[in-house]
Amino acid sequence: MRWRNAWIVMRKDLDEFKKQKLVIGSIIAMPIVLGVIMPLALFVPLITTTPVTTSWDVPGLLEIGTLPENANPPWTNQSLTNLSLSSAVIQHTVLTNVRLSNCIIFACAIKNSTISNSTIRESNLTRSFLSNTTLIHSEGTGLDGRFILAVQSNLAFTKTKPSELALVLPMIFNLILMIFIVVPATLPTIIATYSIVGEKNNRSLEPLLATPTTDGELLAGKIFSSFIPSMGSTLLAFVLGVVLLDFVLIPRVGYPLLPNLIWILAILLIAPTACLMSVLACVLVSSKVSDVRAAQQLGGFVVMPVVVLMLGVLSGLLLLSPLTVIVFAGLYGSIDLGLFYFARAIFNRESILTKWT
Amino acid sequence: MIICDCLTKSFGAITAIKDFSVEIPDGCIFGLLGPNGAGKTTTMRMLSCLIQPTAGKALIDTYEIGKKEDAQKIRGMIGLLPEVPGLYETLGAYKNLDYYAQFYGVPKQKREQSIKETLMSLDLWDRRTEPVGGFSKGMKQKIAIARALIHDPKYIFLDEPTASLDPAASKMVREYILELKAQGDTIFLNTHNLSEAERICDTVALVKNRVVKVGNPKELARGLFARTVSFTLDKIPPTILHDISSLEVVSQARLNDRQLLVNVRRPEEDNPLIISWLMNQGVSVQFVTEEEHSLEDVYLKLLEEGGR
Repeated sequence: MRWRNAWIVMRKDLDEFKKQKLVIGSIIAMPIVLGVIMPLALFVPLITTTPVTTSWDVPGLLEIGTLPENANPPWTNQSLTNLSLSSAVIQHTVLTNVRLSNCIIFACAIKNSTISNSTIRESNLTRSFLSNTTLIHSEGTGLDGRFILAVQSNLAFTKTKPSELALVLPMIFNLILMIFIVVPATLPTIIATYSIVGEKNNRSLEPLLATPTTDGELLAGKIFSSFIPSMGSTLLAFVLGVVLLDFVLIPRVGYPLLPNLIWILAILLIAPTACLMSVLACVLVSSKVSDVRAAQQLGGFVVMPVVVLMLGVLSGLLLLSPLTVIVFAGLYGSIDLGLFYFARAIFNRESILTKWT
Repeated sequence: MIICDCLTKSFGAITAIKDFSVEIPDGCIFGLLGPNGAGKTTTMRMLSCLIQPTAGKALIDTYEIGKKEDAQKIRGMIGLLPEVPGLYETLGAYKNLDYYAQFYGVPKQKREQSIKETLMSLDLWDRRTEPVGGFSKGMKQKIAIARALIHDPKYIFLDEPTASLDPAASKMVREYILELKAQGDTIFLNTHNLSEAERICDTVALVKNRVVKVGNPKELARGLFARTVSFTLDKIPPTILHDISSLEVVSQARLNDRQLLVNVRRPEEDNPLIISWLMNQGVSVQFVTEEEHSLEDVYLKLLEEGGR
């Protein structure tokens, strides 16, 4: 393979591509509209109106009040650490890292403990988990739990559950990220399907095939000339999208959330391999049909593996993690390699020139 | 040298060309003549390594067409002008030529100089960046010919090179082809233009899905037709046709106004005998010329016979 020849084919194709203003417009506009404008229009109202934090809202909590000023638990020097107690009465004790169930706890300091089916009175709690527990005249910070039965309590919890924004953002981020993967897989159907069949229709393929350029060089050139504009416009939209999303989010969360590791890996690994897969399939189809429209219609099928990933992620069946991204990039990369060798094996100058159906 | 030995190409049940056998020496202009669908373009495509022969063999220099390892070498040695110019219509003439020069590995400096000279000779230098899509058919054809020759190929395949050119441009192309021949290039020409083939081709092959006849255009005519001598007479005696037919050297005679057209075998020897006979009949001979049969006559006669 003489890369110089592939480079010449690519430059020639890009030179021709540069003259097609409408195609350039659609190549640039599509990722910006789908990956930037639409998500911003749809999600910015949601992001800006979703509360960053919410008050404690444990199901089953009947009443929340404040600790009366005279509530001052009498502390002792007794302390229990790393214990598991059941059906006990504990008072005036410092409890650290203990598991208590079915206990009556009075005037204790409790830290890093798990308490269930118990009653706690006039105590001070820190970083503990409570379940089916009644709290009376106690206070706590960093608490978590469920079914807290504070039927007689004046209680102040300082910990909040995770913000709704934090719950919503990963879903939005995944959706936008999927757009940045589907778009580069879709764009080549505009350019790459034209690459060979278009030249054939313009009758410029015959003199090109008569040059000493090999099949592999010709295919490589055609692949790069479709890959570069597709990925270029996707990266442009990606950068724009990241900047604008951060611009919207920083006032809400205080720091830039994007691009995170998954986004960086996805745009550097999955998007290019998905784009290449689409380019290869389109070039392959383009060398086998004699009509640009047929090539575009068949080329549309090549986005299927990317749609599978998108549906998997959006339905929650696939959890997007750095490992998932690397695995999918590897899978797409392997498909790319197979497609390239297959395209080169079935590339036939004679049938391209002589078959018109 | 190009040697074709029983070169055959079939597309399924259809045989485009069968048993095409010719030898084209270096520095020769070879014309391939035939009606539409006779297999001319298919033959040219086989020799340009664009399609594989179904049977037979062909050598260009020492390289064999159809052999994968020789295909790149052959493609590097040839220049092809296809039936349709097939230019990149959105690009300018300069870029159209430049990309092809690069494909053939022409060094940058040589390429720039060569393209400039070519475009200046075609009067297109000032319009070199204009998209060629806006050019006339003739201009496009000129650029396509220049593209086929940009790498100075040894073997040049031209499919209807003057098809869409005006007479002046056609003349220029013909002169250019003769110049290339003078440089020692070998030219393989597909053409419908019989007068063009007659004027510039050293050898022609008439094909109609097979070779009907190969030879020098003039020799072909001589081989096919009896030689006809025209005697312009001062008067025409009423029985002259009957009387002259009695001469042994005359195979056929007819009249065209004051011209007596006589078919003979060897005009060099037979003409003096006929002139002497005419003078004996009291008829003065004002002019004697030999009627020449055009390649068109040859073409039509051969294809008529070949089609039977």
